[in-house]
Amino acid sequence: MLTGGLKRKSKAASEIPSSSLADMAFLLLIFFMVSTTFRQEEPREVEFPEAQATQKLDEPRKNILHLYVESDGSIYINDRQTPPAEVSNVIAPIYADSDRRLVVVLRADRDVPYRYVDAVQKELQEAGAYRVTFYTNLAQRVTRERR
Amino acid sequence: MALMRKKGGRASGEIPTSSMADIAFLLLVFFLVTTVFDEERGLPIVLPEQGEEQEVSQRNVLHLTVLEDGTVEVKRGESPTVQRVSARDVAGIWRLGFQQNPNLIAAVKTAPNAPYRNMVAVLDQLQTAGAERISLQILE
Repeated sequence: MLTGGLKRKSKAASEIPSSSLADMAFLLLIFFMVSTTFRQEEPREVEFPEAQATQKLDEPRKNILHLYVESDGSIYINDRQTPPAEVSNVIAPIYADSDRRLVVVLRADRDVPYRYVDAVQKELQEAGAYRVTFYTNLAQRVTRERR
Repeated sequence: MALMRKKGGRASGEIPTSSMADIAFLLLVFFLVTTVFDEERGLPIVLPEQGEEQEVSQRNVLHLTVLEDGTVEVKRGESPTVQRVSARDVAGIWRLGFQQNPNLIAAVKTAPNAPYRNMVAVLDQLQTAGAERISLQILE
């Protein structure tokens, strides 16, 4: 190329090359996409009771079974509505599969009449699943009223 | 003159991809912000085995009857006196009773039509007070 003897002074680039930013961003994105696990079941319309003594359950996910009891008394296990008498038939094989480590998280609505929960309890006893957690939301500590 | 074109303006034919990083980061921040960890929590309890009805002396039993309106009837062992309290007082009653008798068992009987949260409130009080031997039954 004929430049007539004049060399173009190149301006010193004072920017950090950001061309690899997109690479990094996509890598992170792919990481999250791959490591995200999705819920195995549909969320249910249940309002949980509150309790101050709510504890965190440290159990691997595979040993946990959610048992929903809605306010009208209908019972849902793994997205299937189960009549109360069938609960032990559904739970027993799951309990056996889990090497007797199954924890049933009883997610019952706060206003469901207790007799439904009691029926479920009896069925769980029949199935042999003794480890039960009543799912609750953490209640804020109620300050004592000064008398 | 009007037709003089700048030599440098060669149409490159490429779509500018400089905003790809922006989009990627936006998506990333979206996922970071919306991810919720579903934690398991609640009041743990171990149900007794079926048919494992242990005979316990009435002296070691604190009867708590949970009613539909949320109040609790407290009856100590064989004593005929029944005290009607609100659920909030159960922790204190348990602590007192446990102090006097470390073998105390709480027998919680809930009315069939009482809302579930009444039983949870009493169970909550008992577990807050450190009770470990709790029996949950329905009021016949």
